[in-house]
Amino acid sequence: MSISVKTLWDEGADKLQLSIIAGEQYLDRKLPETTMNRPGLALTGFFQYFANQRLQIFGLAEFTYLKSLPQEEKLKRMVDLFEQQIPGVVITRNRKPTKEMLELAERYKVPVFRTPLVTMHFINECTVILEKLTAPQERVQGTCMELMGIGLLLRGDPGIGKSETALSLIERGYSLVSDDVTEVRRTSQGKLLCWANEVTRYHMEIRGLGIIHVPSLFGVAAIRRQTELDLVINLTQPTGNEDRTGVNPETVEFMGIQVPSITLPVRSGRDMANIVEVAALNQKLKELGHDAAKELDDKIISRLTRGRVRHG
Amino acid sequence: MAEKFIEKELKVLNEYGIHARPAALLVKAAGKYSCDIYLEKDGNKVSCKSIMGLMTIEGFPGSIMKVTTCGQDAQEAMDEIEELFISKFGED
Repeated sequence: MSISVKTLWDEGADKLQLSIIAGEQYLDRKLPETTMNRPGLALTGFFQYFANQRLQIFGLAEFTYLKSLPQEEKLKRMVDLFEQQIPGVVITRNRKPTKEMLELAERYKVPVFRTPLVTMHFINECTVILEKLTAPQERVQGTCMELMGIGLLLRGDPGIGKSETALSLIERGYSLVSDDVTEVRRTSQGKLLCWANEVTRYHMEIRGLGIIHVPSLFGVAAIRRQTELDLVINLTQPTGNEDRTGVNPETVEFMGIQVPSITLPVRSGRDMANIVEVAALNQKLKELGHDAAKELDDKIISRLTRGRVRHG
Repeated sequence: MAEKFIEKELKVLNEYGIHARPAALLVKAAGKYSCDIYLEKDGNKVSCKSIMGLMTIEGFPGSIMKVTTCGQDAQEAMDEIEELFISKFGED
């Protein structure tokens, strides 16, 4: 996904302590590759391989090198660089831009920023922000909870009891991430991060009660800002077709990532919170490499075949 | 009976937009029907049967919502939802 320089400016100006010093009217320029480049090599005149689609960072090294050049050579190299249609320039350590830099920025319609941050810190921070801005994101219907480090998404038709189950889990000491509407983002590590919409964050709707504010009632331990998704639980009307062994685990896909999923039939009087809690614990156990259903099945197969077939 | 799919663009006409009370009215109306009902705006799609969903969709006064109903009673559901939008959710 490509973004404009303006998006980075809007979202990251505070954190990156950016100020704009030239080319403000050209903020709409696209940033085709959402990463950074230090143009040191380009400044030496080497353009055979130059990442011109990236944000160009001028740090101490670039400035020191430029300073070592005679005036007309310096200008020529800078012109060569700006001619590559770079999307933007960031000067770190609050260095003063050279006069020609500002002129070239106007002539080639390139925004130039400045930050007091050290180059390394700027690049680290900016990488994180750019990744957030470009990561695929979806809004999904479902209530998100965290139980003992396991991120859970409770899904199901309206009225099936997602919020009620979540409420019982909160009473058991677990934490709410979001009720009914969950934002999900795919990180570069292939994980799914869940959090709540800003407006309704930490509020829940309970049938018959209306809207409640969870931390006011249960304390701040009952909420969590975000969690990594480990398990999806679908609450359904009983069909009689449910999984009885757990030997063939289901998965569900979000943005190309498969997440283990369980379908739980809801019957009146069934303690859903208890079952969901056990499901989360069981998932934790599986992640530690211990799959109870599979181990029992292997044991049975080994007995039935008098030891001819042994797994694990 | 055949599944029906209806799509309509409805404008939020009341002074405060889709706040808690209109959201509750919409959810109540939608809950009566078995069909799927969704509201969509700026690429955000939420179920009309979810209070939390409706409160996150940012239904500013004057904004246009794409409403879709899909199922056997899609027509009846759309009629009732449309009536709520037109009547400004009983406000003003």
